[in-house]
Amino acid sequence: MASPVKVLLVEDTRVDALVLLAMLRRFHCEIIIANNGKEAVDLFLEGKKFDFVLCDNEMPIMTGPEAVEKIRAMGETDVKIIGISSNNNVREVFMTAGVDVFIPKPLKIDVLGAMIQEVINKKNNAMF
Amino acid sequence: MDYSNLRRQAASMKKGLFDQGLLDEQFRQVEDLQDEASPNFVEEVVAVFFKDSCRLISNLEQALEKYPRDFNRWDAYMQQLKGSCSSIGASRMKNECMLFRDNCGKGNVEGCMGCLQKLKREHAILRQKLESYFQLLRQAGPAGAATRPVM
Repeated sequence: MASPVKVLLVEDTRVDALVLLAMLRRFHCEIIIANNGKEAVDLFLEGKKFDFVLCDNEMPIMTGPEAVEKIRAMGETDVKIIGISSNNNVREVFMTAGVDVFIPKPLKIDVLGAMIQEVINKKNNAMF
Repeated sequence: MDYSNLRRQAASMKKGLFDQGLLDEQFRQVEDLQDEASPNFVEEVVAVFFKDSCRLISNLEQALEKYPRDFNRWDAYMQQLKGSCSSIGASRMKNECMLFRDNCGKGNVEGCMGCLQKLKREHAILRQKLESYFQLLRQAGPAGAATRPVM
């Protein structure tokens, strides 16, 4: 049986973080929160591994797209990265930075569930 | 105390919030996240929302004074607030945020000021109504509790 999905939630807005956390817990994910892009990048630099990253756009110190670009530049190409924002105009910026998909906020739980299931299926396939 | 009557009143109050456009479907999504492990989740999220939105509105008011015609800065603050409003389903507040941002895009200072005043009114209305709603819910007790006899 595959281990729990390890998620990095990169979000500075408390309300959004609370709601997303509650959604992720429904899927029994192991969750680490970064409050900005730099904290997210630092976690990867420390050697932390994640199956899934949910990354907001506008954050202090380092934005989501900046962080995504740095994470991908480290060679972290396997981790699924979802860019999220209530500003639809940042879709292209996120895609250029290297996210797998951009989803506008607010995120729906069934959409999140489908993405997590994709990751679980991939982990299960990797075991065999 | 007639708890089932209180629950009916709470349900009616909530319906009113949706009918008046104060809340949208996203609020139901937040409610769906409440469970036995987090029995006060909705109220906690709403409390955080009002704390953060008060701060954001205050920051924006200061920015309007300190950075005249800095529409990019004003827009950035409002984008944050709009995001939070979307996350909990604060629909009328979200609409005022969007109108403010439109006015920023047009360089319309008066329009921005007007929107901010409307936003503050909507903020106050939503806060007062949700506080009443949660107070009623607390009086009504958990939904699964047996109906107690009328005193």
